[in-house]
Amino acid sequence: MALLRAVRYGGIMKGELERQRVVVLGGGTAGWMAAAALVRLLPHAADVHVVESAEIGIVGVGEATLPHLRAYVQTLGIDEAEFMRATHATFKLGIDFRDFGAVGTSYLHPFGSFGTEMNGVHFHHFWRRMLAAGRDDDLFRYSICNVMAAAHRFAPPAADPTSLLSTYSYAYQFDATLFGPYLRRYAEARGARRTEGKVVSVEQHSGTGDVTALRMDDGSRIEGDLFVDCSGFRSLLLAGTLGEEWEDWSHWLPCDRACALPCAPPPGPIEPYTRATAMTAGWRWRIPLQHRVGNGYVYSSAHISDDEAADAIAAAVEGTPLAEPRVLRFRAGRRRRSWVKNVVAVGLASGFLEPLESTSIYLVQGAITQLVELFPQGRITDADRDEFNRVTDYEYDRIRDFLILHYHATTRADSPFWDHVRTMAVPDSLEEKIALWRHAGRVQHYSQGLFLEPSWIAVYVGQGMLPDRWDQRADAHDAAALAGAMDRLGARIADAVGRMPDHAAFLARREAMIGAPA
Amino acid sequence: MTDGAIRSIVVVGGGIVGLSAALAFAHALPQARVEVIETPSDPAALADRMPSTLPATAHFHARIGIDETELIRRGIALHRLGTRFEHWSADGSTWIHAFGDYGRPVGGIGFHDLWLRARRARQALAYDRYSAAAMIGEAGRFVHPEDDPRSPLATYVYGLQLEPTGYRSRLLDAATGAGVFISPGAVAHVEQREGGGLGAVLLQDGRRAEGDLFVDCAGPRGHLISSVDESVEDWSSWLPVDRLLVGETTSTVAPASLDAAVATSVGWRWAIPLPERRAFGLAFRSSETEAARARRILSLEEEGAHGGETVAIRCARRPRPWVRNVLALGDAATAVDPLHGTNLSLAHSAIERAIELLPGRDFHPLELAEYNRRTEQETLRVRDFLALHYLRSGRTRGEFWAGLGKRALPGTLARTVEHFLARGRIPFFEEETFEKRSWVAAMIGLGLLPDHPSAMTGAVPAAEAARAMHAMAATLADLPRRLPPYSDYLTRMRRS
Repeated sequence: MALLRAVRYGGIMKGELERQRVVVLGGGTAGWMAAAALVRLLPHAADVHVVESAEIGIVGVGEATLPHLRAYVQTLGIDEAEFMRATHATFKLGIDFRDFGAVGTSYLHPFGSFGTEMNGVHFHHFWRRMLAAGRDDDLFRYSICNVMAAAHRFAPPAADPTSLLSTYSYAYQFDATLFGPYLRRYAEARGARRTEGKVVSVEQHSGTGDVTALRMDDGSRIEGDLFVDCSGFRSLLLAGTLGEEWEDWSHWLPCDRACALPCAPPPGPIEPYTRATAMTAGWRWRIPLQHRVGNGYVYSSAHISDDEAADAIAAAVEGTPLAEPRVLRFRAGRRRRSWVKNVVAVGLASGFLEPLESTSIYLVQGAITQLVELFPQGRITDADRDEFNRVTDYEYDRIRDFLILHYHATTRADSPFWDHVRTMAVPDSLEEKIALWRHAGRVQHYSQGLFLEPSWIAVYVGQGMLPDRWDQRADAHDAAALAGAMDRLGARIADAVGRMPDHAAFLARREAMIGAPA
Repeated sequence: MTDGAIRSIVVVGGGIVGLSAALAFAHALPQARVEVIETPSDPAALADRMPSTLPATAHFHARIGIDETELIRRGIALHRLGTRFEHWSADGSTWIHAFGDYGRPVGGIGFHDLWLRARRARQALAYDRYSAAAMIGEAGRFVHPEDDPRSPLATYVYGLQLEPTGYRSRLLDAATGAGVFISPGAVAHVEQREGGGLGAVLLQDGRRAEGDLFVDCAGPRGHLISSVDESVEDWSSWLPVDRLLVGETTSTVAPASLDAAVATSVGWRWAIPLPERRAFGLAFRSSETEAARARRILSLEEEGAHGGETVAIRCARRPRPWVRNVLALGDAATAVDPLHGTNLSLAHSAIERAIELLPGRDFHPLELAEYNRRTEQETLRVRDFLALHYLRSGRTRGEFWAGLGKRALPGTLARTVEHFLARGRIPFFEEETFEKRSWVAAMIGLGLLPDHPSAMTGAVPAAEAARAMHAMAATLADLPRRLPPYSDYLTRMRRS
């Protein structure tokens, strides 16, 4: 009888999860983000082993993040306030772009929409129509994030979806060098193993070419079923072992170096946004954290020397430098595929796009999400790899186009760098997007992936690229009534923001609450 | 728009699609002149003659000012909770494809993943036992969905079963009220415009209709659209039905919120509840089955199904439904068989998209390309969803079905099936008409089950999931008892 049951219920055996030995190579931000997510989401399917070397420094990509990171933090079950304290984080409502479209102009790329749609017509069409009718009006007045940012205020968005205050989101500005260690504690507490050491060689299956083990400098071997390559720019497994080809995008995104120079926070408010200021050969970031301000000059080495860049960033920072300028080197582009055989590259090992829109950690998170959803049970199939690579392709391509737009949509002619990016040929996919916008004020539609309509509108309008036309339904409204409705909306936003707390005060109050006994 | 706005629209085709389009344009563009030419109806225009809709209709109706409650009260519409599929799968089991959730996630893990794991351990009831809409519909009950997210009555939505004659006349009233000009006529000839597109439509009575935009809603022949672009993409190898036998019973039947799609040896037949009557029909293939035989089979299998009209269809789409100043909608753009009742809903969606992306009188190719690109994404996935039922049904009995399972799938559908079989996952596509929960219900119903459980299910212990699933099923099994019979619900609605 017992035997019969075992045969009849054979399905149960198949229903159990097959454990995979996952080796994560590299213990930077990408490596520990991957490890933490895997131990959290696949506790019975993945044995996670992180291999890292203290000798190899980490880039610590991204001090500024996108709102998506909140979902990652929530998925891990981490308390936001505690996480923000541990990483000295501040809130971020968008990026303040200065001098991009033309010297002296600025705009906020907000984490939220512009105005409210009426009868299915998006707000910017009404704004454009009224602009043509002579109403001198700033579209960004109808972005709550922008109004909050300008006043250095912050309050979390409302949960009620009908509220005006539910139409924005936020992200964090944090110390990336503390994020990895924070996640390491999390992952190790939940069973991730960690081995310290350097990889001296990689073993592959003689038939399939799959990676089977890493051989370490102390002579040990680390075997795995699936290898997550988080080795950074070196791309040790994907590029090194498997030789995946590089697709170079530096002709569109010529910046190839960054000179970082953190400084002490100047007195005054903590800006709830990141600043990106165009420079003669690139741009510089300014990211306010609780305890310091991150600064750096991202530049094209063909247009400026390292010394000149270091001088320029030193002259630009608004506080006492906390370190010597540090130069990072990179190149825009990506490996053609990110998942090859049993190697999945996450983060810089798969490609690099400059930090202009804070996308590095987003790309890491996106790759991890895909990996978890496609996590192998049984053998890895071509369908898994193809799906992963398909999604990675459109993420990279869209971000690439969006970044190029920031350089291309400009009237700047004040340096060889800006002459180059203003006049260069852009990818066809971007050319079409720009043409559709210029002609009709429409943003090519997609619902999955990064940078949806409001983001494109922000950059187009913020950098002086106005559409010739607007949705003809916007003409159906009486001009005076429309102007009145817009004024009321602007006033409602200003009023709501006026009642929000100061960003620094909000942070301090939260800090006090965590410190207080429960 | 500074200038160059569309001032006049000529809609050819006075059926449900044409009137819906005219009404929607009149609402969106109050300054424009909208004219409908009521051409003789094409029997193969399924969106006009078989108006079942998906839940998105509610949004469309709100847009064009049609009050759904009034349609129900006046006996023009019934609520539609889903479709019962019989004899489609390899083992002949029946399942209900319902418009709503199947189960609830447990511990952040999607219900279908947990169900698939439990099923392997033989600890799961049939998938539709976890759907409130399926349970309510099957029991012949109905109540409008609730907002309270904790209630099982908040887990479903509904489409409509529309009675075509009454619905058309309601649209006609609304269109007239909105200032749409309506006149009967038949197209004799189309006049090309200098520089491309159409200049005018010449009618048989000698009249000449001019406009900035011409909307072809006169059925699959696509008289207008084919005069500017003849390309058609044939789908018959994936959607093999090319004949329909379409009829109605006149005897009064009890109202129901589920329709039925029953696979038979020569194809499949439908039974659709309408106010006071029932529509029935058989979908088959002319190469094996003659109309007379189809008629015999249907009258044997379906009580009261006598007579009916044979209609030839050809499943296909126009790759460019908008060319210059000619926009094709409904069966003129996409012709699919009535499985799942997508025809009119596809037209609704296309109308909304056309209005959202309405170009100026220059009909700039970039703007039309965006419309055609998004329409293609939507249409191909509806094709995939329907094709799944024919090509991966598991059923081999009967001349219609033999060999269908060996046909190659369209690439996007192949990928979808492959992913589901490997991981229980539906890959993302833009512009999906059928949500993931619908795809999953169809896959499971057809007997397409993954080889392995999703790796994520490990986060929730099987015993915990089993307890939660048991509780869900118990709640739903008890639910219909507490709700009114659908006929009572309708009576109450009509009285109030």
